[in-house]
Amino acid sequence: MPLITNYFLALTLDFYILTQPLIVIPDKFLMILMIVRVRFHGRGGQGAKTASRILGTASFVEGMNVQDSPVYGAERRGAPVTAFTRISDSEILERGYVFDPDLLIVMDATLLASPVAKVTDGIRKKGAIFLNAQSANIIGEHYTLPSDVRIASYDLTSSAMEMLGKPIISSASAAAAARLVGLVKESSLEQAIVTELEEIGLSEEMIKKNVMLGRKIFSSLEPLELATEESEKKLRIVPLEMITSNDGLEDIIAVGNSKVAKTGSWRIFKPVVDYEKCTACTVCYAYCPESALILRQDGKPEIDYDNCKGCLICYRECPPKAINIEREVIAF
Amino acid sequence: MLMTGNMAAAWGARLGRADYIPAYPITPQTEIIETIAKWVRLGEMDAKLVQMESEHSMLTAAGAASLAGARVFTATSSQGLLYALEMLYNISGWRAPMMLINVARALAAPITLEPDHNDVLAARDTGFLQFHAETCQEVLDLILLAYRVAEDSSVLLPAIVNLDGFYLSFTREKVTLPSEQDVSTFLPDYNPPNPFRANMPVSKGATVLNGALYSYFKYHMHTSSIRALSVFEEAALQFERIFGRSYSPVEPYMMDDAEFVIVISNSFSTIAKQAVRRLRERGFPAGLLKLRMLRPFPSSLVARYLSARRGVAVFDQNISLGSGGIIYPEVVASLYHRRNRPQLLLPVIGGLGGKQITVEEMEKIFEAIKNEIGAESPDPIFLMRQEELETTKNMVRTAKEVQI
Repeated sequence: MPLITNYFLALTLDFYILTQPLIVIPDKFLMILMIVRVRFHGRGGQGAKTASRILGTASFVEGMNVQDSPVYGAERRGAPVTAFTRISDSEILERGYVFDPDLLIVMDATLLASPVAKVTDGIRKKGAIFLNAQSANIIGEHYTLPSDVRIASYDLTSSAMEMLGKPIISSASAAAAARLVGLVKESSLEQAIVTELEEIGLSEEMIKKNVMLGRKIFSSLEPLELATEESEKKLRIVPLEMITSNDGLEDIIAVGNSKVAKTGSWRIFKPVVDYEKCTACTVCYAYCPESALILRQDGKPEIDYDNCKGCLICYRECPPKAINIEREVIAF
Repeated sequence: MLMTGNMAAAWGARLGRADYIPAYPITPQTEIIETIAKWVRLGEMDAKLVQMESEHSMLTAAGAASLAGARVFTATSSQGLLYALEMLYNISGWRAPMMLINVARALAAPITLEPDHNDVLAARDTGFLQFHAETCQEVLDLILLAYRVAEDSSVLLPAIVNLDGFYLSFTREKVTLPSEQDVSTFLPDYNPPNPFRANMPVSKGATVLNGALYSYFKYHMHTSSIRALSVFEEAALQFERIFGRSYSPVEPYMMDDAEFVIVISNSFSTIAKQAVRRLRERGFPAGLLKLRMLRPFPSSLVARYLSARRGVAVFDQNISLGSGGIIYPEVVASLYHRRNRPQLLLPVIGGLGGKQITVEEMEKIFEAIKNEIGAESPDPIFLMRQEELETTKNMVRTAKEVQI
């Protein structure tokens, strides 16, 4: 590390070091170094954190420097989750949130509308967005995607349902990212899937299925050869006076404001009531943890799809099995 | 290996051959104890792990076991550290050189999980030696170094190693694991003075009821803490010979001809280093001084590195409400009697509760140092980006009025 002045040498030279550089900084240190920043946006339970780790391990196997990390708060299935992988051929002088991703992996397109997830914020010019969707065009018609970026898509969830029987897309998303970045061989990806899924205690059979899924996604996409550019950023640090207004109490005085956060987009499966079979026993109403079931005049439930998170407890508890589930694809 | 900061801390306990680990869970520290518990269960680590009923009991058990001669390791965060705080003063007074890992998490209220340093800095007056880590590798290495210094017969004080929640605790990066053999060469078994033994009665932590006696022992603890600096430097020389990584109580980065310098500790140092590198590319003479050792405070080194610079900013990721940053006055005190002290010492508060810091904000600090030189009394900078304030105000508004 030529940049760290040897302290013990400095001691003997004392003040001399302040005017005379001891070590000449080689030019290569001032060159722009290769670094790829991938930001995963998913929902709790989809496997965003594991995806970032699989991509990290696969790149590490390839001899790259790697840093991966998740951001989460109070963990909940369905809530927006963000995870990052930084890949570089040299020291990574970055840490924490990736503000300016080269590649975004959007594991659930409904997150594009989330004011909390801020999915496309900061993406670099000529960067890329991968959408877990059947068609990027349809997504583009319904959500605003930034210009000057490349878009790729593949329906990972359908592949996962078919091959794993579950809508968990950690391996699939990592495979997509690894292929699009183009720095990882298929064999390294496989090794990483095995390492990371063993770490979280998956069965051998499930790991095998994930490897197959990873292979399928990897071979279905092509590297993007990303060469991104820094986007212009405006930075304004606000003075303290602007913060110290009379809004300083953290009291929440608005009653029922959780309705403002429409959690209906958290679902992957939705419960549907079969009113023929329903006996109006109200068991579902008692069990719904989100109060997203309202009782109609006839005592039968009506589901508030704006706020139902798709936990499916009603489906499991319904005595006459009058609640069915449907896979929810963004339908336009 | 790729590993998180929490995993690196667990490896510090394992490679450091900790005998006894009293534990109590709290986010974001829990993974450390989970990992050690797994190793102990699988027989990969020869240690006794005990789940206690609170952090206060956990630290009491830790200190007592250390006096019996065990090498003790434990970990906590935030409120847990504060709940145990009373015992920290006792343990240092007992001269029990145990290891406490703090995974930084901002203090309630408001409640959060992400880090700042008001938790660990609350322990600054306790007599615990205190080290702050920037990388996962540093977490492991500082644990080994801190054990060695703490157990030195001329120091005999407990130690805290701090790593930031999320930014290190859950972040994986490359960590080189030293061999067990090399670690035992560097860190031999602990040889305690007058340990509790059935056949050798000894009283520890005696009542003095006498101001002069009390002062005598406190002065002795103080000078022992000060001695830890040179003991650390000596240990670091051997550490470098064995492991090839060099550590000093402060780390200068691009300081050789730096005119404008930021003083910082912990994981945000990485982002500040990137700012320094980017500014250097534009020909701006920026530099960085990272504080790795906070107790004892390395005043002479701080003064040596900062004298004759034009301007210095002190980045405090903490706030002593009603005063300002906690580290700032310590840096000011280190420099006051230097004839060639910098023209400006700019206080900066940032990253409270894990507030994200962009490289541009770090660059802005350097710009501010340059602009403020010559100011009578520079205004402190409280970092908050415009868009962050707007989002915050929206959330505050939602808490006051329903908008459906």
